[in-house]
Amino acid sequence: MRFAPSAKLAAVALTAALALTACGGSGSSTSASSGGAVDGAGKTLNVLTGVNNQYPEEQKKWQSDIAAKFKEKTGAEVKFETFASANDELTRIQTSVVSGQGPDVYSLGTTFTPTAYATKAFVTLSDDDWKKVGGKDRFNPAALGISGPDSEHQAGIPFVSRPFVMAYNKDLLAAAGIEKPATTWDELAEQAKKMTNAGAGTYGLATGYKDNFDPWKFIWAMSVQAGNPLVDGDKLKMDDPTVKKAYETYFGWLTKDKVVDPAAIGWSNSNAVAAFASGKAGYLMMTTSSSIPTLDKSAVAGKYAYSIMPTTAPGESSPKGDGDKAASILSGDNVVVADYSQQKDLAFAYIELITSKDEQLNYQKIFGELPANAEALASLTDPKLQPIADAAGKSKATPFTGAWGDIQLGLLNVTVQSIPDLAKGSVDESALESRLKDAQSKGQASLDRAAKS
Amino acid sequence: MSTDSFREMKPVSGPAAHGQLARSGPPEPALDAGASPTTGTGALQPAGGGRKPVRRKGLSERNRPLWMLIPGGVLMFVIIVVPLFLGIYMSALNLDQYSLRKWVSAPFIGVENFVEALTNSPLLHSVWLSVSYSLIAMLVTLPLGIAAAVATQNAFKGRALVRSIFLIPYVLPSFVVATVWRTMFQPDGVVNSALNVFGIDGGLWLNGPQTYWTLILVQIWASWPFIYLLALSGLQSVDHEVHEASALDGALWWNKLRYVVFPYLKGPLALAFLIGMLHHINNFTLPFVLFGVPAPADVEVLPILTYVTSFQSFRFGLSAAMAFVSLVLIAIPLFIYLRAVKLDDAETPGGKK
Repeated sequence: MRFAPSAKLAAVALTAALALTACGGSGSSTSASSGGAVDGAGKTLNVLTGVNNQYPEEQKKWQSDIAAKFKEKTGAEVKFETFASANDELTRIQTSVVSGQGPDVYSLGTTFTPTAYATKAFVTLSDDDWKKVGGKDRFNPAALGISGPDSEHQAGIPFVSRPFVMAYNKDLLAAAGIEKPATTWDELAEQAKKMTNAGAGTYGLATGYKDNFDPWKFIWAMSVQAGNPLVDGDKLKMDDPTVKKAYETYFGWLTKDKVVDPAAIGWSNSNAVAAFASGKAGYLMMTTSSSIPTLDKSAVAGKYAYSIMPTTAPGESSPKGDGDKAASILSGDNVVVADYSQQKDLAFAYIELITSKDEQLNYQKIFGELPANAEALASLTDPKLQPIADAAGKSKATPFTGAWGDIQLGLLNVTVQSIPDLAKGSVDESALESRLKDAQSKGQASLDRAAKS
Repeated sequence: MSTDSFREMKPVSGPAAHGQLARSGPPEPALDAGASPTTGTGALQPAGGGRKPVRRKGLSERNRPLWMLIPGGVLMFVIIVVPLFLGIYMSALNLDQYSLRKWVSAPFIGVENFVEALTNSPLLHSVWLSVSYSLIAMLVTLPLGIAAAVATQNAFKGRALVRSIFLIPYVLPSFVVATVWRTMFQPDGVVNSALNVFGIDGGLWLNGPQTYWTLILVQIWASWPFIYLLALSGLQSVDHEVHEASALDGALWWNKLRYVVFPYLKGPLALAFLIGMLHHINNFTLPFVLFGVPAPADVEVLPILTYVTSFQSFRFGLSAAMAFVSLVLIAIPLFIYLRAVKLDDAETPGGKK
């Protein structure tokens, strides 16, 4: 019947509570180690991590390799558990948070870290704890930007960086007489116009307006570059002119500049990748290094390169505020240690292992994801990866608040509700304003609740 | 058989008679009245002269293995009743990501969640969308399902094949159905290409006002075999003699269908209507996969709204309140309907066989 979601949660809570009682006798004792090597003989560390759909076999192999290394180092076993979707992950975290038991180490997406932090279910690392994972300075400083609300309170330990960049088709750019990729959004639109030939089905930009994430990332980037951080203290600034301008630019590619395939109103990011891969687009917006395997097997293999996305807001001539550091949202994975864990030292020892330079480079080689380890990041020499590594240094964290989930949803919702207008060829200004106003009031309400708790 | 006359008797004490009647076990041979409880009540009256007004259990009620309810009952209790009450309790808490960890001690805010759900959330709009879409889909699927059942009632060559094909939409997982339709409904997808051939601009199916009709269309496609199945089972229960009798009376096919066959379908179809409506209203997979989250405002149906409130905004308390309000809203017409069709009471005298 209709009570499904709440009932499910409650059922989960109940089951978890039952399980807790059942397992009461088998809880392991606290790790007795004090500094130095951790003795984990006979113990098992539980790690929850996302399933890698692109490289499932490699992931299994990596997990068994790392488990062997960990056993050699500490004598303890590592048991990996995977989740298939963000939703699975959330359910798993909720269950564990409510019942106070579950995996010791979690892997979290960066934008989800503030929400997880807000539950207070994860360890905020002390200086001592940071030493146990190899010291704070072993990490790329930019990657620490979304580990906690400030540098004194950080729960997320960076594991990999997945910054967003744009890919461009070298042949199409050259044919249009463009020497180097755009560095401002205005220039990007100009270049895109030169490359667009709707008759031949070629367009300057490939991007998906129906994607579940991309739209808000554009709006966030353009707003931040115009000097509006979106969240200022406990005030939401979504009704700011910079935000409206960002939406107008983003929608304008389709309605005014006509540099995007009209079908893109129904596209997700993967459709955009496919369009770019077939050689029909000059730029592929909002992509990551994970597009390399697809593109290397496509018609544009050897003809494409990456570049950081523009950092100058639409209508401006140079980046405002810290806009030049907002080439991408700070994206990647953090690992966190559960507060209820009985073997935190063992968990830290595991994180120390997987964030070491060698392991990070190894991981990059297998999965293509950038190291969060500063030394490992600096040692990358592949020229194709250079712009991506650049973007990792020029990534800016989205506002660290438990309300971010709602704000992100509000930003995305403005696009979703505008798609019918986009299809008609123009987004009515007053309609856009009323959608922004709606998003502003909902987001502000969410921020108010965050401030109260 | 009726035991009603017992209720009308005046209570007169009599330990022996009392004991005999209260027990519904094997009758004692000495008392012939007890030996024939089903032969009519008239014979009993003089024998006892007056008995306790104990309702005599009917033949089909005797020795019911009620203990068989225990396994199902325990599961129901653990999986439905307990969470339901937890859900109601949660709806009175200010439960969100900030208070989840210690959820039992989350601030108690009484009816605030309900006030917010009713006055400051799209809940009522969602209820309207859910109910209206379910009803429209149901009203279209009913004739479709009945027609298909009637058409495949009599044997013809290839009937088994047709019947199997009819069931395909029903056996496909919702997720698959929604994914395939989503692909077909893309702005440059096959649906619009096909419409273009006839010079019709299909427009947007997955965004904007048209989404409401998209949802209804896909729901119809996915759920009409359910009506078909139940209508078919109703048709199978029509006795052969009835067909013969109506043929002898000279009824033509429409009259036969209208006055002879359809009455038989009333029971199964009422059940199908009820289950189908609940199923549509609760359908989460279809809108979620078709339109994604956040959904276009025209298809923000109840399950999507509660999902977003719970798992995107993390307002567990508010979402529980929403779920409870919608449960009540749906339970009212359901209750009236159940009373009207007496679906739950197969033994009512005069009820359909």
